[in-house]
Amino acid sequence: MATYVARNGIGERQRRMEDFRFLTGHGTYIDDVNLENQAYAMVLRSPEAHADITSIDASEALALDGVLLVVTGEDWKAAGYGTIPTKSGVRNFKNGSDMKEPPHHAIAIDRVRYVGQPVALVVAESLDICRDALELIEVDYASLPAVTHQSEAIKDGAPQIWDIAPNNICLDFELGDEEAQKKAFAAADHIITLELVNNRVTAAPIEPRGAVADYDAATGKYTLWNASQNIHANRDIIADNVLKIGKENLHHIAPDVGGGFGGKNGVYQEPILILHAAGQLKRPVKWINDRAESFLSDTHGRDQVSSVQLALDADGTFRGLRTETVGNLGAFCGTVGPFTPTGGSSRTQGGPFKFDAIYYTAIAPFTNTCPLDPYRGAGRPEGSYQMDRIIDFAAAKLGMDPIELRRKNLIPAADLPMKSPMGLDIDCGNFPAVFEQTMQLSDREGYAKRKEATEAKGLKRGFGVCMYLECTGGGPKEEAKVVFRDDGKVELSVGTASTGMGHETVFAQLLAGHLGLPMEDIEFHQSDTDATSMGGGHGGSRGLEVGGSAVTQTSRQIIEVGRKIAAHRFDVDAAKVDFEEGRFHVPGTNHTMTIRDAIDAQNDPDNLPDDLEPGCMNITSVFERGIISIPNGGHACEVEVDPDTGTVKVDGYWVVDDFGTIVNPMLADGQVMGGIAQGIGQALMENIVYDESGQLVTGSLMDYALPRADDMPKMVIGYYEDAPTEKNILGVKGAGEAGCVGAPPAVVNAVCDALKEYGVHHIDMPLTPERVWRAIQDAKAES
Amino acid sequence: MPAITVRVNGLEVTKEVDARTLLSTFIREQLKLTGTHVGCDTSQCGACVVTLNGKTVKSCAVFAWEADGADIGTIEGLSKDLPEGELHPMQAAFREHHGLQCGFCTPGMVMTAVQMVKNNPDIDEDGIKHGLEGNICRCTGYQNIIEAVKTGAKAMRG
Repeated sequence: MATYVARNGIGERQRRMEDFRFLTGHGTYIDDVNLENQAYAMVLRSPEAHADITSIDASEALALDGVLLVVTGEDWKAAGYGTIPTKSGVRNFKNGSDMKEPPHHAIAIDRVRYVGQPVALVVAESLDICRDALELIEVDYASLPAVTHQSEAIKDGAPQIWDIAPNNICLDFELGDEEAQKKAFAAADHIITLELVNNRVTAAPIEPRGAVADYDAATGKYTLWNASQNIHANRDIIADNVLKIGKENLHHIAPDVGGGFGGKNGVYQEPILILHAAGQLKRPVKWINDRAESFLSDTHGRDQVSSVQLALDADGTFRGLRTETVGNLGAFCGTVGPFTPTGGSSRTQGGPFKFDAIYYTAIAPFTNTCPLDPYRGAGRPEGSYQMDRIIDFAAAKLGMDPIELRRKNLIPAADLPMKSPMGLDIDCGNFPAVFEQTMQLSDREGYAKRKEATEAKGLKRGFGVCMYLECTGGGPKEEAKVVFRDDGKVELSVGTASTGMGHETVFAQLLAGHLGLPMEDIEFHQSDTDATSMGGGHGGSRGLEVGGSAVTQTSRQIIEVGRKIAAHRFDVDAAKVDFEEGRFHVPGTNHTMTIRDAIDAQNDPDNLPDDLEPGCMNITSVFERGIISIPNGGHACEVEVDPDTGTVKVDGYWVVDDFGTIVNPMLADGQVMGGIAQGIGQALMENIVYDESGQLVTGSLMDYALPRADDMPKMVIGYYEDAPTEKNILGVKGAGEAGCVGAPPAVVNAVCDALKEYGVHHIDMPLTPERVWRAIQDAKAES
Repeated sequence: MPAITVRVNGLEVTKEVDARTLLSTFIREQLKLTGTHVGCDTSQCGACVVTLNGKTVKSCAVFAWEADGADIGTIEGLSKDLPEGELHPMQAAFREHHGLQCGFCTPGMVMTAVQMVKNNPDIDEDGIKHGLEGNICRCTGYQNIIEAVKTGAKAMRG
């Protein structure tokens, strides 16, 4: 398969098509969708982490003027609706037995298992009436003991959340050759062990989730406008598995979506509840989460407690790696939740480093907390954190240089292609070159001077790096449909879902670049099950990799048909027709036809050879990725730490990414910077906290810290572009998640470097001033 | 229900409002100006920033009746007097610098930025960062927003 050669504007910084409407206040987000005669819905959420519902009395609420409907678990039982299934790719215990998948209904039936779980839905003529009605529903709970921490949940005697899951274990997992790992450990000079926590965080898109449901009694069809990143797969689950109405009867649309980061990927309960309500009431129903509800009910991410062991020789050569992790699942299986701490974190173990053997094992227990599901990176950030933290920790313990330790152990370019000990197909790249490029970009020569300046202020300066290796994921197939309208516009529909990444621009850029048409002529459609017959939505950095490849493939097919039309007009063999910059041309003649001429000709049979039908340039094609791609890169970070207060300031950030072909560097930069911000957020401030009784402590933006403008360093971004992958026709490797895969270990490594003189070699994230200050005090007390 | 009269983006309107109606709700639901967004319930995110008598406010933290008699500016008004397709220099700078991704925080960011520059035309990078403290963006990592505000400020200075 030949890789793509950039031309015709592809590979250039192209400003965005979607920006005009967003900048002028004319985007259409879910809360901007309003239907004639719509009713409003709000959710009564469980205040208990674990309790039996002994009674629900909604009579007073129903008596309130303007209240239309109250839905409870009893109604759900009576309707006979199905459960929301998990689509986790890992489904079996190590011993082969089936994972424990408890019934996940859209509303609590008889028992609640986390604070925030829907207990009732109120539908009324206005939101104010909904608010009043919520207060009038009386629910009696009989509290049960709760468990929120995964390490506690698996202990004997812990509260049992599901009868089917002894010790609350949903699933266990292993990958790699344990015997080989033990052999490598036995032969190594040192074994270094680090216990670490990958803190629980939330995606927190600034647009809260919401949906509008409509039911057409005449046709029996439902329409759901939904702030979702994954409309096709979720339609199937909602329509086929839960409501049992048949997916052909659910038209699923996502309007402009205000950020997602994985948090809007899965199937949620509320859209299902309002579809039910719309069907009952025969009128549209709208529901919008508020921010407090978002913290309670948006699936959370990360939350792994791990033990990482690195075996290495006296000269620093890595021999073996062993990771044991316990990954919290929350009270139910998320849409792909159980995959994250098992398959998701296992595949990239070892990063871009050479090992004789690696063994990974995981336990995934239930707890009385909100379910977990993918958050940007979904398992790979945990893997890179485990890898790049143990390197710095080992270096500190053994008196080695963490930079040299990496340099020594990176997989040489000559070893590629290879299969990693985890079975990952690493086809191309040059990790040592990326590493040196990162070192160069980060101005190592100037560091001593910067350190001096920091110390003159009474602060400590540290430098940390992370050499990450990750992989793409999500649906392997994508469709790109092109229709040339007779008004000159070109409709481009792709089954991916942009929630800010800029598909509207980059896909139009690809199509326009291939065909030589103005971008302004292209109308982009996405996230509408009527506009695209299939689609893999968002997730796993797949947009350009799979969707962009589909657009490229469709473009090439359009050109081939156009070539035949041109050949027919010039009465030559199609092989004799060249295509360049939007023109078909027969070399050595003055026969020229623009792509626009061919498009205009395509609807008249007189213009077409016998094997083509009118409309033949309107083409839909499906691209299928065979093997996932391997984005990789280097992050370097400098921090200033105030030892008196524990405050950390990220004072410099440099990153070099190998994303293969870069189609639009402006958009790629945006993905990297946004990912780094989320990684810095996780490393320094973000933390979802439940107390022991299962109450959410961090339930607002005043308790859960998100990075703000002055938390961010200047980020300098470079690319390694000499290794486009041959796994897809664009040569791209996926850019969406890499930033937050690399950033947390780079930041924590830098802080530990700054504090090494105190003997501080590890602090669990988030590195809040209190934690940093305490670590310094504890280390001082110990010495 | 009391009635309030406000001037919104230069046009005077009189509407009845419930005592508990927030200014953000009034703007979105009653005036149908949906460019003003609501991203939180604790006045933290800044997606709802509008101008009230020339000062930026979080419209989710003001009751509609408190705005009676006031001059209100929303994102829709920023370029409404320009020829179709043209943007206010600050909007144009956000586009040029890729200072937005999902676009949800953008109206609040732009309204904050414009007023920040009006108040301090020579604002520097630290001032911009400080001025954006009340606006959260989850997509961009802020760097491009800061560059956009610098460029927008320069263009506004003329």
